[in-house]
Amino acid sequence: MTATIHARNLRRHFGQTRALDGIDLDIPAGRIVGLIGPNGAGKTTALKAILGLGSYQGELEVLGLNPARQRDRLMEDVCFIADVAVLPRWARVRHIIDLTEKLHPRFSRETCMHYLKNTKVRLDAKVKALSKGMVVQLHLAVVMAIDAKLLVLDEPTLGLDILFRKQFYSSLLNEYFDEGRTIVITTHQVEEVEHILTDLIFIKDGKLILNSSMDDVHERYTEVMVRAEHAEAARQLAPLHERVLFGRHIFLYDQTDMARLRELGEIHKPSVADLFVALMSNGDSDNIIAEEAA
Amino acid sequence: MISQSVTTLWTLMRRELWESPVAFKWTPLAIGAFLLLMAIVTLVIGARVDGEMAFTGDALRILAEQPVDQQRFIISGMLFSVATIFFQLMLLVILFYLAGSLYDDRKDRSILFWKSLPVSDGMTVASKVATACLLVPGLFLAAIIMTHLALLLIASGYSIVAGVNPLTTFWLPASLPRLWSIMAVGLLVQALWLLPIYAWLLFCSSWAPRLPILIAVAIPAGIAIAQHTWTLATSLSLPGFNFGLIMLKRLGSSIVPMSANIQFDGHLSDIEFHEDLFMSFGNVFAHLAKPEMWIGLIIAVALLAAAVWVRRRATDN
Repeated sequence: MTATIHARNLRRHFGQTRALDGIDLDIPAGRIVGLIGPNGAGKTTALKAILGLGSYQGELEVLGLNPARQRDRLMEDVCFIADVAVLPRWARVRHIIDLTEKLHPRFSRETCMHYLKNTKVRLDAKVKALSKGMVVQLHLAVVMAIDAKLLVLDEPTLGLDILFRKQFYSSLLNEYFDEGRTIVITTHQVEEVEHILTDLIFIKDGKLILNSSMDDVHERYTEVMVRAEHAEAARQLAPLHERVLFGRHIFLYDQTDMARLRELGEIHKPSVADLFVALMSNGDSDNIIAEEAA
Repeated sequence: MISQSVTTLWTLMRRELWESPVAFKWTPLAIGAFLLLMAIVTLVIGARVDGEMAFTGDALRILAEQPVDQQRFIISGMLFSVATIFFQLMLLVILFYLAGSLYDDRKDRSILFWKSLPVSDGMTVASKVATACLLVPGLFLAAIIMTHLALLLIASGYSIVAGVNPLTTFWLPASLPRLWSIMAVGLLVQALWLLPIYAWLLFCSSWAPRLPILIAVAIPAGIAIAQHTWTLATSLSLPGFNFGLIMLKRLGSSIVPMSANIQFDGHLSDIEFHEDLFMSFGNVFAHLAKPEMWIGLIIAVALLAAAVWVRRRATDN
């Protein structure tokens, strides 16, 4: 069984900037991967390379195909939504559905209608007359009605209200996802996706700084909440990151002596957002971010 | 496999029609409506001057007494000249459509949606070519046919009032099947003749960072001016061969409405005003024998290949 996405030493640069700086990646089928990174980290560049929408150097195979040369064949099994909905503004909703039905062998009109049923999107409306959120709803309905092996979502829920976002992720997980499919999601709203991810990838300056399964992440990283008087002792154990909350110091560790940590304070698993902040600020001159209590 | 490609191509062409209904559907209908309106206004004014229909009736009777080939020349010639107005505007519609066709979706980012469909970039470009060469001429021809029929019906009404047989005076001399099929074939040959120009516009449309139509005009115009300046400065003469002028000449000397091969070398009086000027299949097909036609097609294929090459690399920025 070939990996859904297989990349070796994937590179791309724009002038002096290295948008992708030698990425190795293996994503098997049946995973939900979160690709998380700050703005300008290379997320979109990586996704565009995977989707055959941009040039790259290095080795890249998606579903056994070369995306740059075989985009049209690849798109029979791959769906994507770019960071903002990009449906043609002149079209009517039924045009989009008709076109996709005629052009996509794996599209199901029935499923699309099922997803649209819960929205206010009317079939006769023009895309330019829909609100931003409704365009996204339409695009998501079209994409989820395609029986694809790889679904790429680049900031899929931008501009959607919280109710629809919850509903979307729940139908993504419960109705759409199965072990034959792979989903790659990038988003800034990490909290919303973290419970559905099976794998986590952090990208920064074109390099992967974390690439592991959620189980491994939970295994490896530990947060300890320490009183101020124990802070110095905690610092001795080489934490990745330290922050202060309500007068308590919170330290994040990568694979450290659990017994020792328990003595220092209360232990819990870091959220993806906390881990992200810790790993992203690592290596910067100021790696201590004091968080104000909100 | 082939039937799937045809379905895809046809779906993509319908998409073009959905995107530009004003240019492709409403423009020819509006031209037809305008021509009919002008005809009706003329008839209304005529009715006020010629209340008893004395002159109109006389004119119709004179026409009815003409020899058959004269009738054919007059009626089909009038119908053909009605069609020329459509042809001129159709060319403008096609030129602007092609210049925007591979640019607009890059500008509004919907290219990301189009590229998410399993359609090759070659097929995308082919659908634009087919729209310009087949779909738009077909729609304009349909509007021409409707206008012709409406005009002939009005004329029939008048001839019945004047006591003239409309069938022998208007409908038979109009030789409609022949007229329309010559136009259809002429439009196809014209599409081949203009294909290098169409391909040039598509190529510019595929890469231009902005204003593709301006870039498509500015490059040949710039080359032509540079060429003129250079030969004028170096040998004090005008170039015998000019890139920009060749393109202009090709646009100007389209196959329809004049299907004849007229060489304008100062002997305009040599032209015999006969229905063969526009009613001859031979003259239409003669264009296919010209070497310029085939040179143009080779250039067109190269430019289209370049347009596909650029399109494959195009994204939203």
